[in-house]
Amino acid sequence: MGEPAIRLRGLTRSFGDVRAVAGVDLDVVDGEFLTLLGPSGSGKTTVLRMIAGFERPDAGTIELAGTDVTDRPPYARDVNTVFQDYALFPHMSVRKNVEYGLRVKKVPAAERRARAQEALDAVRLGEYGERAPSQLSGGQRQRVALARALVNRPKVLLLDEPLGALDLKLREQMQVELKAIQRDVGITFVFVTHDQDEARTMSDRIAVFNEGTIAQLGTPTQVYEHPATTFVAGFVGTSNLLHGETAHAVVGRSGTWSVRPEKIRLLLPDEPAAEGMRTVGGTVREVVYVGMSTRFVVDLPGGDTLMAVRQNAEESADLGYLRGTAVRLSWDPRFEYQIAG
Amino acid sequence: MTTATSTQRGGFGYRHPRVRLAGLLTAPMAWLVVVYLGSLAALFLTAFWTVNDFTGQLVKTFTLKNFQQVFTNSAYLETMVRTVSIAVLVTVLALVIGVPLAFFMARVASSRWQPLLVALVLTPLWASYLVKVYAWRAMLQPENGVVAWFLQPFGLSGPGYGFTAIVITLTYLWLPYMILPVYAGLTRLPDSMLDASADLGARNGRTLRSVVLPMIFPSVVAGSIFTFSLSLGDYITAQIVGGKTVMLGNVVQTTYVTNLPFAAAVATIPVIIVLLYLLVVRKSGALENL
Amino acid sequence: MKTAAACSVAALALAACSSSSDSASSAPAGSGAASAPAESQAAAPGGAAYAGPVGDGEGQLNILAWPGYAEDGSTDPSVDWVTPFEKATGCQVNVKTFGTSDEAVKLMQGGGWDVVSASGDATLRLIYGDTVQPVNTDLVPNYADIFPDLKMQKFNSVDGVAYGIPHGRGANLIMWNTDKVTGPIDSWAPTFEADSPYKGTVTAYDSPIFIADAAVYLMATKPELGITDPYALDQTQFQAAMDLLTQQKELVGEYWSDYTKSIDSFKSGTSTIGTSWQVIANLAKSEGVPVEAVKAKEGATGWSDTWMVAKDTPNINCAYKWLDWIVSPEANAQVAEWFGEAPANAKACDLTSDKTFCDTYHAGDTEYWKDVYYWNTPTANCLDGRTDTQCVPYSDWSTAWAELRSS
Repeated sequence: MGEPAIRLRGLTRSFGDVRAVAGVDLDVVDGEFLTLLGPSGSGKTTVLRMIAGFERPDAGTIELAGTDVTDRPPYARDVNTVFQDYALFPHMSVRKNVEYGLRVKKVPAAERRARAQEALDAVRLGEYGERAPSQLSGGQRQRVALARALVNRPKVLLLDEPLGALDLKLREQMQVELKAIQRDVGITFVFVTHDQDEARTMSDRIAVFNEGTIAQLGTPTQVYEHPATTFVAGFVGTSNLLHGETAHAVVGRSGTWSVRPEKIRLLLPDEPAAEGMRTVGGTVREVVYVGMSTRFVVDLPGGDTLMAVRQNAEESADLGYLRGTAVRLSWDPRFEYQIAG
Repeated sequence: MTTATSTQRGGFGYRHPRVRLAGLLTAPMAWLVVVYLGSLAALFLTAFWTVNDFTGQLVKTFTLKNFQQVFTNSAYLETMVRTVSIAVLVTVLALVIGVPLAFFMARVASSRWQPLLVALVLTPLWASYLVKVYAWRAMLQPENGVVAWFLQPFGLSGPGYGFTAIVITLTYLWLPYMILPVYAGLTRLPDSMLDASADLGARNGRTLRSVVLPMIFPSVVAGSIFTFSLSLGDYITAQIVGGKTVMLGNVVQTTYVTNLPFAAAVATIPVIIVLLYLLVVRKSGALENL
Repeated sequence: MKTAAACSVAALALAACSSSSDSASSAPAGSGAASAPAESQAAAPGGAAYAGPVGDGEGQLNILAWPGYAEDGSTDPSVDWVTPFEKATGCQVNVKTFGTSDEAVKLMQGGGWDVVSASGDATLRLIYGDTVQPVNTDLVPNYADIFPDLKMQKFNSVDGVAYGIPHGRGANLIMWNTDKVTGPIDSWAPTFEADSPYKGTVTAYDSPIFIADAAVYLMATKPELGITDPYALDQTQFQAAMDLLTQQKELVGEYWSDYTKSIDSFKSGTSTIGTSWQVIANLAKSEGVPVEAVKAKEGATGWSDTWMVAKDTPNINCAYKWLDWIVSPEANAQVAEWFGEAPANAKACDLTSDKTFCDTYHAGDTEYWKDVYYWNTPTANCLDGRTDTQCVPYSDWSTAWAELRSS
């Protein structure tokens, strides 16, 4: 015991001249919901496919619960995958799809049937067993794919952008559902996505991928509020950076500093700044009304650009008139972080 | 309300899709009915006529004589059985050779090689039919053909000209018609299907049996329809490499000018056999997936 | 409509099928009036012959021919007698070749062709099928030089009315591989008799007309059958021929239907003895295959081809110009040498490039052709003039052949 569910060491994989994965080390804790987050081409899906066994690493090792499975084919690994396109077998009914893994493992018919029904019930598709996959909606197919994987009771479930094809509302609903299921069954989930909101909503930890390596690994809050690199700061949330001269003038030290938009307060010309706050003057370039809040893009004299968000709690008036005017921005120094890269 | 907006876009055909469809399909449908079904019907009708013994002219009076002759004469029955056996053997051989080959082309070979392999499979189709059959005639020569020379070290003799030679040659001729639909079916098969099957614990054999074959079954059936019906109707191959062996097509060829009704009756048999085959295939549900 | 018209014309020509047997009795054997009654001359099939005179050409001519009969230089640049014809007459020529007599008949019935080179097994079908018209030989000056034993034969005339101009002839020979067969061979026996030492390598022509070859052999070996014309077989005679062919099938390694396959068959050793043509023997020899070919002592079947004119041709003048051109000594010599058959025009023999050509092919050797039975189309009315019985028609020949090959 005490072994991580998955241990990756020095994982490398190239496709032709492209280094898709360039030395990844990662320990996935037993029972956690880990998200591999990154833009397309960052290597996150390749890492997932190597864990599943669909791709062989050029170098490095993969351990599942302490056992080296690097050279094992997919069918000899105790993991299951939910595919981006669901990959349901079109010539089998929903029930046959769900039973497939058990049938392959020669589980007796009665038990097979019971477990498949249980899995279908768990995803609220108990009545749909005899349908063909083509007769289901996208969300339903997605849940069948989930049931087909979970029915095997794997130690680890791998999910390759499973919500990508769903519309926004269904996606948000499924995010909640997935998290609930993970909590119920208590198995390790490794979830791949390029959607930072999705990652934040569900994950215990997030591994942010960039150019084949992990840029940062941490809880959603850590990654969001303390981005380790410029890339993470930019990819997770909005890049709000102060460089060189400007940073020196405002913060008092050189380097690259980041402040999250919602921590920045936009002061109207007659508003005073609070005690102990940083302040900086700038010109409003853009005002974007987004319902709950309004976003301001402010150009600073040194060339940097900061975004500030103001909750629309008090002003119901249109703030568009601020476009082009000089304003001041202020924030609590506690919320500014220096970034390494 | 939505109708109001849609009528403003597009013309008459846009508003009346059925009329538009009818307009598009009338010519091809007429062609199909008149030329294709019409000639089939004419063939079938002719089979019930006879010829005048003195002039050799068609006599258009109804008679079952031709069918009686075909179905009661052991020589023609033998030829019928022989022809169907050849077609079945050719189809089975094309399956055994073609499906793994198509699988290799579609799923194993790298994407750089795929177009080249497809071209290689297609090249024989561009050569003249006769050239290919004569090439096989040369290869199958009983004494100094390539096949005989190849088999000699093993103490075997070549098949010579006859039943086996016909099967070999027809298999060669129609193999691309099996490979291409199966190849197309396999390339349409998403990679994730194979990954999913392996992921759920299936080894390659199991994946082939439970996922790949059922999913490409319609393509395989399409290929077998080609190989089966093309073999059934062939006669030139039998003429060139058949030695003394003849197929139904040769009977038609020998008799069609001097005794057209009899030839028509013989020619009806492969049509019926193919129709029966299609019926069986349709019952298996494969045609809907084509 | 069309069918009814064709039927009534045919009925006229044959004075109705049912009553033909008695009315045909007066027709002398060998005169060509095999199946048409004497009094039908006025209503000969195809209507009246062209009265002439042959005027200016219509500018084009559509020719249906055996391969090698109408060469325009496209096969071999030095083989061309069509282009000079076009230059001399202004008739632009369009040639289509056919592979078998059956194909020729089908194409002619389809229409669109002005002249056709028809073999004896096609001519009568074309005449009685009302597809061709009588030919006025007075309008063909070169007709005078044609060997007399080719004129007004059973297969190119009806009741003394000529239906075409003879073009050339050949006999079906017995050919053997001199390395594998101990010769010389002078009989068909090794290809028919059950005790043949060449069992398995005998070859035969794959066509219903080959039944006549068996009949020729029976004429010599079983005179009691009373066969006088191998194309006029009553049921008993026909059965005897089929029995002989069934016996032969045991010996046959391969049947041939086109001459390239026959050459290949002898070349590869698949066949060592069997029916052949002079041109096949020549080509095989030129490729180094050790073969000899002779006319067997029992006699032989053969062909004599005839140029015929389509009944409804719109290019009648060009058609007559072609008939005269193709049997002119110059053209006839070229065709005969290219195709490998005996020319029909006696004067052609002086113009062949190989001076022994006419001797090799026995062009003017009347004795040689005496026991050569030219291909003809069997009908229920016996072609040999017998009226006390019915003969087996060609439609039954073809089904019998198909059955023999099927079993």
